[in-house]
Amino acid sequence: MSGNALNVARRVMLQVVRDRRTIILLVVVPLVIASIVGVSIPDKSMLDYIAPAMLATLILFFGFIITGISVLRERSQGTMERLMASPISRMDVVAGYLLGFLLFALLQTLIIFFYMVYVLDISFQGELWQILIFQVLIGIGAVCLGTFFSVFARNEFQIMQFIPLIVLPQIFLCGVLWPISQMPEYLQWIAKFLPLYYGVEGIRALMLQGQGLLDIGRDIGILAAYAAGLLVLAALTLRRGASS
Amino acid sequence: MNNTAISVSNVAFYYGGLKVIDDMSLAIEAGTSYGLLGPNGAGKTTLIRLMVGLLKPASGSIKCLGKTPSPAVARQTGYMPQLPALYSELSVAQNIDFFARVYGLNNREERSARVDEVVKLIDLWPKRETQVMKLSGGMKQRVSLGCAIVHRPSLLFLDEPTVGLDPELRVHFWEYFEDLTRGGATLVISSHTFDDAAHCQKLAFLRLGKVVAEGTPSELRAATGDTGSSLEDAFLYFIRRDEVHKNVG
Repeated sequence: MSGNALNVARRVMLQVVRDRRTIILLVVVPLVIASIVGVSIPDKSMLDYIAPAMLATLILFFGFIITGISVLRERSQGTMERLMASPISRMDVVAGYLLGFLLFALLQTLIIFFYMVYVLDISFQGELWQILIFQVLIGIGAVCLGTFFSVFARNEFQIMQFIPLIVLPQIFLCGVLWPISQMPEYLQWIAKFLPLYYGVEGIRALMLQGQGLLDIGRDIGILAAYAAGLLVLAALTLRRGASS
Repeated sequence: MNNTAISVSNVAFYYGGLKVIDDMSLAIEAGTSYGLLGPNGAGKTTLIRLMVGLLKPASGSIKCLGKTPSPAVARQTGYMPQLPALYSELSVAQNIDFFARVYGLNNREERSARVDEVVKLIDLWPKRETQVMKLSGGMKQRVSLGCAIVHRPSLLFLDEPTVGLDPELRVHFWEYFEDLTRGGATLVISSHTFDDAAHCQKLAFLRLGKVVAEGTPSELRAATGDTGSSLEDAFLYFIRRDEVHKNVG
């Protein structure tokens, strides 16, 4: 990783740290969502089924929306144009965003994980470090997805419209709330093209079945391929300014 | 010895089919301040964006410091866009420090000393830890200039740098720009005000993506044939002459 990617990551982290309201929201919002999940699902076995999937879903959701808006702002306030006139490369910018936001995504994962295991008392049989590594993989995909889709939005309002288009269908189709075997066959087929399906399958195997990363090679491989593809797309489509 | 810092040769550029730079050629001498003067839509910002490599010409070529604009050339250039283009959550010093890092000032002590020096130069020392979002428009312009000069570029592109500044600050900016050219830096400055133009050592009058006249302020004034004419008179003279040439053509 180049020095300029680290410079961008450092700046992204500084921006978040200097914005107290964002820091508070980053901590509070996952707790609120986890609490709602816990309170609204009284059946313990159902909670065990849904809670790990929520962990994967929330990192996808927050990674997508935070990065999408940040990259969009970078363009609309002119700093992207300034960066692109400097010696920095597009890959440095995307890699810097990845590194910067992944740390916050991991912090959110830890908060939700400990809340779910110790407050909501969901079953847990795996290893925390393996869960974190798997979450990083989902987070990389989410950050690249946010960077890529920010290209198609001109303002924050438009990027918000991508949530029902990109995130919500995955929640309904990828087995977050009910097993995909209960869905029509053609929807099961569609689900297998969506990254969250592999995120949900993998995290359930890690948390509920006590499996290790080596046991979920298929999920890791497909998520890694998604992340790599999105990383290249994000870097290729990163635009310099709002008007170019 | 070739003393040309920038050469623009027969460059054309289109925005969505509309020609905004029309077969333009310019040569900018190293160590001078060169003004691009023209009304809105004349092509000043597009030309600067072409020179810094943000846009690629549809035809023709641009050389900055003898090379096609690239990240390697960018290390020696500074760019102050029209918008302040700053990170509003970060402080004055943090913004300047970030661009110092991006431009390769890697030694921590040297970078820190240079950032302090620039913050003092833009006269914002008491505000160095203040978030940019809490600054006035003029202060943001100063921070933006600080970000563009922190790595001591030999070639500096300033897109409307004095817009929104009060007269005192404008004078302060121009004193600093003159210091930079005395130190050997080349400045390309776009403006639509004749006050700014008078400070430049050489000017190009732009209209509809074309250079209608080029020369020193005194040469351009003298070309009108009226010894008492202002730069504004000279600009209007060349615009009218260009229109007559077009109509005859």
